[in-house]
Amino acid sequence: MDADTTVTLTDPMDFKVEELLKEVHFARTPAITKLVDDTVSAIRKSISKIPDAFPVTADLAPGFVRDIGADKVEFKFNKPKTFKIGGSYSINCVVKPAVNVDLFVGLPKECFHEKDYLNHRYHAKRCLYLCVIKKHLKSSPSFDKVEWSAMQNEARKPVLVVYPAVKSVEAPGFFVRIIPTAASLFNIAKLNLKRNNVRAFNQDGIPRATPKYNSSILEDMFLEDNAEYVEKTISRWKELGEALILLKVWARQRSSIYVHDCLNGYLISILLSYLVSLDKINNSMKALQILRVVLDFIATSKLWNRGLYFPPKGQIGVSKEEKLQYKEAFPVVICDPSAQVNLAFRMTSVGFCELQDEAASTLQCMDKCGDGGFEETFFTKIDFPAKYDYCVRLNLRGHTEVHALGFCLDDECWRLYEQKVHSLLNQGLVDRAKSIRVTWRNSPSEWNIENGLAVLDREPLLVGISVSSLEKLFRIVDIGPNAENKEEALRFRKFWGEKAELRRFKDGTIAESTVWESEQWTRHLILKGIIEYVLLRHLSISKENVVQIVDQLDFSLLHGAKDLVSFSASLLEAFEVLSKRLHLIEDIPLKISSVQPLDSAFRFTSVFPPEPHPLANERHTVSRLHKLTPSCIQPLELEGSGNWPMDHVAIEKTKSAFLIKIGESLQNRWGMTCSATEDDADIFMSGYAFRLKILHERGLSLVKSENGNKAKRVYSTDKMLFIRGQHASMINGLQGRYPVFGPVVRVAKRWAASHLFSACLVEEAVELLVAYLFLKPLPFNVPCSRVTGFLRFLRLLAEYDWTFSALVVDINNDFGPEDFKLINDNFVSSRKASEENVQNVNPALFLATAYDKASEAWTTCSPNFTELKRLVAYARSSANLLTKLILEDQTDSCRWECLFRTPLNNYDAVVLLDRQRLPYPRRLLFPSEVNRGRHVARVNASKAFGPFLVPEEMKGSSEEVKNKMMVDFDPLRCFVGDVEASKEYSKKLKLWYDSLGGDAIGLTWERVGSKKREREEAPEEETDSIDVLKAVGELGKGFVRDIYFLKAPRLMS
Amino acid sequence: MGSAEKKQRKKKPNLKKRKNSQLSETDENLITVKEDNEQNKPSGKKKIKREKGNSFDVSDVQDNSNKAAKEKKRNKSKKKLRREEKSNATPIDEVGEHGAEDGDDADNSNGASQVKKEIENPGRPVGKSKKARKKKKKDRGSLMKDEELEENTRDADEDDVYMISSGDEDCSKGMKKWVTEYHQSRPGLKVLQQRIDEFITAHEAKLEQERKEREARAAEGGWTVVVHHKGRKKTTDAESGIAVGSVAQAAVEDKMAKKKKKDVGLDFYRFQRREAKRNEIMLLQSKFEQDRKRIQQLRAARKFKPY
Repeated sequence: MDADTTVTLTDPMDFKVEELLKEVHFARTPAITKLVDDTVSAIRKSISKIPDAFPVTADLAPGFVRDIGADKVEFKFNKPKTFKIGGSYSINCVVKPAVNVDLFVGLPKECFHEKDYLNHRYHAKRCLYLCVIKKHLKSSPSFDKVEWSAMQNEARKPVLVVYPAVKSVEAPGFFVRIIPTAASLFNIAKLNLKRNNVRAFNQDGIPRATPKYNSSILEDMFLEDNAEYVEKTISRWKELGEALILLKVWARQRSSIYVHDCLNGYLISILLSYLVSLDKINNSMKALQILRVVLDFIATSKLWNRGLYFPPKGQIGVSKEEKLQYKEAFPVVICDPSAQVNLAFRMTSVGFCELQDEAASTLQCMDKCGDGGFEETFFTKIDFPAKYDYCVRLNLRGHTEVHALGFCLDDECWRLYEQKVHSLLNQGLVDRAKSIRVTWRNSPSEWNIENGLAVLDREPLLVGISVSSLEKLFRIVDIGPNAENKEEALRFRKFWGEKAELRRFKDGTIAESTVWESEQWTRHLILKGIIEYVLLRHLSISKENVVQIVDQLDFSLLHGAKDLVSFSASLLEAFEVLSKRLHLIEDIPLKISSVQPLDSAFRFTSVFPPEPHPLANERHTVSRLHKLTPSCIQPLELEGSGNWPMDHVAIEKTKSAFLIKIGESLQNRWGMTCSATEDDADIFMSGYAFRLKILHERGLSLVKSENGNKAKRVYSTDKMLFIRGQHASMINGLQGRYPVFGPVVRVAKRWAASHLFSACLVEEAVELLVAYLFLKPLPFNVPCSRVTGFLRFLRLLAEYDWTFSALVVDINNDFGPEDFKLINDNFVSSRKASEENVQNVNPALFLATAYDKASEAWTTCSPNFTELKRLVAYARSSANLLTKLILEDQTDSCRWECLFRTPLNNYDAVVLLDRQRLPYPRRLLFPSEVNRGRHVARVNASKAFGPFLVPEEMKGSSEEVKNKMMVDFDPLRCFVGDVEASKEYSKKLKLWYDSLGGDAIGLTWERVGSKKREREEAPEEETDSIDVLKAVGELGKGFVRDIYFLKAPRLMS
Repeated sequence: MGSAEKKQRKKKPNLKKRKNSQLSETDENLITVKEDNEQNKPSGKKKIKREKGNSFDVSDVQDNSNKAAKEKKRNKSKKKLRREEKSNATPIDEVGEHGAEDGDDADNSNGASQVKKEIENPGRPVGKSKKARKKKKKDRGSLMKDEELEENTRDADEDDVYMISSGDEDCSKGMKKWVTEYHQSRPGLKVLQQRIDEFITAHEAKLEQERKEREARAAEGGWTVVVHHKGRKKTTDAESGIAVGSVAQAAVEDKMAKKKKKDVGLDFYRFQRREAKRNEIMLLQSKFEQDRKRIQQLRAARKFKPY
């Protein structure tokens, strides 16, 4: 490749565009041209074999003819008038992966009568004509298969999809679409927008205009002409074609606009031609600039209001009355060059709004995101699950209500049903939703057109809802019209049925209203309730056919039957009281100057916030009790003094002394219990245990000087406390701004832990990753539901370019250019330092924040390169699974659990823990069993510890019982600590565990260093590793249950 | 402290050199990355093959030894085993998807209902082996028998299973040890206070002794080595910890920041400006080069594929 010489002086952006084009453009190589020509000529040959004047009757596709309600459809077959390659292949703009060629087949006039535009006769004959062709193509050996598809999801206009028997490696899945055209078959005047051509479409006997039906025929009549016009325009200069490709890539990433009621490739090319004809695009522009112009036009142009009309060529253009007619009949008008048909006749106003929004947000990405928004514009998939906060699926299979009035009148029944669902939801959700998108695809892959249209309801109807704001979303009372306004009130009552109630409000007004009672932590379910109520009330649909993606992940956060977040208020209260009491302490030498909460429970991001423990209180009731209670750490800051010792150990000891004094003081004055070790003190306070730490300013500066040499970046306790404090207040602020942040973090943490990544990804890192989603939401909006947020978290983890870029979390949006430069310098130097060995990139996950611009706080040691690779792989497959779960029908809820169920066969050995010894058995999501590999060891159950206080232990004085309660005791941590502390094993093994309550630990063998070149015999190796496993079991006596050996260690070659 | 700073200063030029050399090395690096990946793959595959054999052995043995009592179940599990072995052969990158399937597999038979049960009454044991253990707890005497029986019915290979005691008898390892450690670490406030006091007195005594020794040494020879202290003046006396200069660190930094402004600007001389310009161009060029390499890398990783 001579790229080195030619492109040395171009902009990197151009370079990227060039690469992108290379990747997606389906170039006409000689092999491809041959394939296309061969296929097309084979099709022509087969068709030419059909005998002329072959009589065709409705029997070929009786179901279809019946369902569209056509009469008099018999005709004699004639060979097609023309064959012409059209569409994107003719302008050399085919975009992978949808590699297809459109073949226009001109329907001969002889087959049609003058009045066939009436009552779907044209559509029926068109279909029967294709049936004949299909029959003949199927018998030919040069085609693999011939299938039905629909033009832009319009079922009454089917097209044939022909797969050639010859497969090409260059064009996998290549097919030809046979599209009939109807040039000058009918008198155009008869298809005027005001005319009724479907007699069945009337209101009390008065026929109504059928603009959509008419447009559907007109489209076919001008298909060839328009394709020719587009071809002429686009081929004028190269950049236009490139821009068209870019636009297609852009649109295809956005499934909410690249659908039947919005944009398609054909419309994009028409739009582009239109802008060329207006001279908005000139030949000095590059492809990317053209893209920008088009997007800008879509997003901001005022021309949309009056409709887009090509400038007239010589003759008189479209008259004002005609324009008015168009405007009345269609929400969006893009008239074709001949000014006879509105090509955007399928576009709905909702679809168009969505299109404008997407265009505007892409423009915003280009301005605001790094790299000119290249990634966001072309590579980020903006599908329903990631874009919308709430997704709803309606399974309407076999639902006759949809086509009760007939399948096709002016519009098709599925489109009308879409509109109906949309308006119902719009009315029901009022201002809670910013936008609601309803789409229903009706083109099943194996569609037997002969059997009619009833099977087109197989795929679920998909609804996407963007939430306007959380206050509105969480609103409990919807106030309707005033009671005095009789008419409105009646309508309200009719819509809401028994849910509507008359209420008197504080300001004295009496109004109709609906009330959606809900607990604080189930507020996100309000919307679900409303949607369900409205849909069930107004559509004859059963409850199980309305699938709402809202609460499917909630099971992962439940502790028993409830979400522990509901205790947060009492926790905060307890903290307030404690902090007041701490400030009041007088009998210690130094006063406490500040108290700050550190634990993630205080910022609502803890998966399992502490539950008040009856024993940690003054009074207590006897019931089945947890033996443990988690602690919430909080640092105190003491007044400054010159009397502190200088060396590290002595400082720590002095701190402990202070803590003990504080504990004693609290005990004496308030009767609070204090339990202390040499390192920390736990204070019991209204059911919670608070662990106190002292942050000593001097410690900070000491570390700074010690940290001068960058080789050793271990933070001292003080520095760590300081950093955690900074982090806590930062995240707390963010949580205040975005209430959904907390739940998303909790689900994300739970996911990471349940896949045994507790050791790799610390909680704070997860918080920062999720924070990034909220701070830099483009090209999306800020996520407003936990499912969407979680999906985006997974995709961020899976798709972010961790190797080459730092993730900057700029919470207050106050980073200046210098900050970014500093971060980038830090990043580059960290990457440089580990350049010799890519495996040793450190930190692999570079998270820069205001308090930590060199990513030293959370991700220095873990995840390392291999751990990150694993993490990314897991995130990717979880994201794919989640997307599938949202979009497709899986009636069993089991599949959702798979998001949190980790496959144990990905480890070299598995340690199963004794479920009775887990500190919180209720947090276990799935009991793990291993039924493969070799069972190496089994450990007898220990009686030393159980998660609950047994009745015998409850006897004795309250003081004694209190002592039996264990604060923050975690056998898993002890076990992992013991294994890692033993030098012998920690080098050979890596532990993967779930600190949130899993009962399995995965073990992988660490790569044996390359120094040990001599290849030992495999069995020997195996026995060796089995010995190691046994020893590990010994370390976890009484806690470990079973150990299984799955794979022998790998040798480095 | 002084010495640490010295070290750092020494290191700087070194770093610069490394940077330069590394810039030129990036190209090679790219290639090595690729190679590395390629190298990894085949070895992994081989390994898996071998493991396949291994685990298969195990299942075979299990099947032979198995009595009719559980035959049906066994067959099922055998199938399961095979299926899982298949999935086992896939590289890590597709891990999760398999995970999902794997989960399904496990669920199909009884997993789902079990999960539910577990959630409903988490305290209670699930499954047969669990029941056995419950018995064990009750009656320690019959434990061994029970265990043996169970083991026998399981399979012959399980004879190899290494039995580890619960550790309740000795406190050297495991749960018992952790629990005892936990309780031992909380002897009560009084005891702790006493320990800390002891430590502090010992510590102070040690310091005192060190001081005395130093003084003695000084007095002995009459000589003492005077070390030049580099860097910031101490604001606290090293031994007593009393603030001497009473200059807050922040104040000093503030002052330093102000001082800098007085320096002659970097664009004062013409050659400086020229150099700055040249540097900027060089920087741009190198940045561009970097971008280019980056893109090549991305292309290699098929990052330009939007689908």
